[in-house]
Amino acid sequence: MTTSDVSAPKPGLSVGPTSEFSLFFRVKPGEAASLRQALHALQETPGYRPGDYGMAIQTIHEARFVLFDDDTRLAFITSFDGPWDAYMEDFFTSGPTLALFDVIFSHVEGYDGLPDLAAVRSFVLGAEQSAAAYARNYGGTVKEIRKAQRVNSAFQEVLDHPQAAEILEHPAMQPLLDEAAD
Amino acid sequence: MDEISLELDDIQSGALFERPSPYVGVYLLLSIRDGRDGRELVRRLHRLLASAGEASEAGETSLTVAFTYHGLKALGVPEESLDSFAPEFRQGMAARAEILGDVGESGPDHWEKPLGSADVHVAISVLAPDEDRLRAVADRARRAHAELPGIELIWRQDCYQLATGRTSFGFKDGIGQPAVEGSGRPATDSREPPLKAGEILLGYPDETGELAPMPFPEVLGRNGTYVVFRKLHTKVAAYRSYLRSRAHSRAEENLLGAKMVGRWQSGAPLALAPERDDPELGSDPLRNNDFAYGDDPRGFKCPVGAHARRANPRDALDQEGSVDVRLHRMIRRGTSYGPALPDGVLEDDGAERGIMFVFAGAHLKRQFEFVKTQWLNDGIFIGAPLEADPLVGPHGEAGTFTIPQRPIRRRLQDLPPFVVTRGGEYCFAPSLSALRWLADLQPDDPATQRGSR
Repeated sequence: MTTSDVSAPKPGLSVGPTSEFSLFFRVKPGEAASLRQALHALQETPGYRPGDYGMAIQTIHEARFVLFDDDTRLAFITSFDGPWDAYMEDFFTSGPTLALFDVIFSHVEGYDGLPDLAAVRSFVLGAEQSAAAYARNYGGTVKEIRKAQRVNSAFQEVLDHPQAAEILEHPAMQPLLDEAAD
Repeated sequence: MDEISLELDDIQSGALFERPSPYVGVYLLLSIRDGRDGRELVRRLHRLLASAGEASEAGETSLTVAFTYHGLKALGVPEESLDSFAPEFRQGMAARAEILGDVGESGPDHWEKPLGSADVHVAISVLAPDEDRLRAVADRARRAHAELPGIELIWRQDCYQLATGRTSFGFKDGIGQPAVEGSGRPATDSREPPLKAGEILLGYPDETGELAPMPFPEVLGRNGTYVVFRKLHTKVAAYRSYLRSRAHSRAEENLLGAKMVGRWQSGAPLALAPERDDPELGSDPLRNNDFAYGDDPRGFKCPVGAHARRANPRDALDQEGSVDVRLHRMIRRGTSYGPALPDGVLEDDGAERGIMFVFAGAHLKRQFEFVKTQWLNDGIFIGAPLEADPLVGPHGEAGTFTIPQRPIRRRLQDLPPFVVTRGGEYCFAPSLSALRWLADLQPDDPATQRGSR
């Protein structure tokens, strides 16, 4: 029995735990410059400053806003851990996303603004386009990647210890020793 | 915050308030063979519910009447009205089985008959503090349907609290219910303000500030709530054997069990009693739900993958920026069925025992289905995509469970499934005025009149 026929469409393709999510909008006539300005301002905020690695939503891998077609159109493209449709209500009714998007969306067509959350939700879902192809080069969630980075950094610290070779001699350490040579 | 006023005399209180404890109860499923008898049944059940008066106190005998999609159809509810119900409700639980993780042994092919079939139309539950009071109400419910030839009793499940006052796995349950605005019941978690009434009841603003999508006409939807029931068989011997095989002592078995559940058997939460059980805490309703996980992000006290922490992460996800836990709360009214497996027995005795899980809420998808699929069946949200709930997760292949501890985390391997779904259904428990509306339906579609007298 199919289960997709009456429920809401499931946005985005998934690879492992992660799903892609892309929104496409039309920029309001005459507002391209102010939109660009808003995006520049966004880039200066904590989390969006290059190298911050701390966006307000902890479960997205990256996010980009792209102005294209002579600044007449705007794309928002991201990858998220978990199925988007399950979290839709959470995103658009709470948390930091809404305030951030409100500023950007005010420059695109079809957005009536807060506080009508139902309208915001259907506006966002109406702008969503599922990818025709999607691939990833690693399998982990943001949480796992961050853990892996912490573990590697700790491992490098151990390797810098003068007695590292000696410490890794125990047979149980073999998998780590295999990673220690370069 | 404006305190909302609920129309308590129009709401089926059984869906809103916790069950008595101790309790005995019975669940009945009826099939409507004849629409006119169906509507007469509804009229009688309405009288029964109405005579119960205003929302009864918690701990009193309660009668709850709910309908499946096919049940509403059999009563002659018009098509455009049927179409206005939540899509998940219209599909029914069996159609959602794969999404819910009810596969393999838990799949609809293996469900107890007639669960999951289109024959299930009316669900009635009666819960009472003792046998006498149960019989009094159950007899009246039986009289309501027994003399109607077009109504058939197709399933019955008795339930009763075990002598231990705990579930078949040995744990005190029923803790951690959210309070609901306007219900008059105070919150037991001082950090969790009462939920907006619209999270549980249709026709009121919910946590998003909106009204939950409501079936029409308004009289049918308002003051109603969706109800999910699931019969879950518990493999108690397998659970005990597993703990025995991983522990060196009874104390360690209890600790592993507590780490899996997030609470000790007494109900004492690990967040407040991380080292050893504290029965006094466990039995104190003012304290056993009054805690948070914010001081334990890595789960040294209560593992991030423990059952209770998954089902209600409280403040544990507040930093994520993507989750509002208040959108994923629910009323649970689970009961136990079947005999206890005697203490110390590790061999399966073949007896049917387990839990009748019952949910009440306004949003099937973002409450029941979200918690089941995202938090219990999956581990993406805790950064462990391959781990499911250690107790109720569908470990298709052998599962793992991580217990954070210093210096080195413990990882339980080869967890078998301890819970098997025997079946269930999505239902709708209408208000008293909606029951009256249903009883007075005069379907002009000849198909629903067929066989009527």
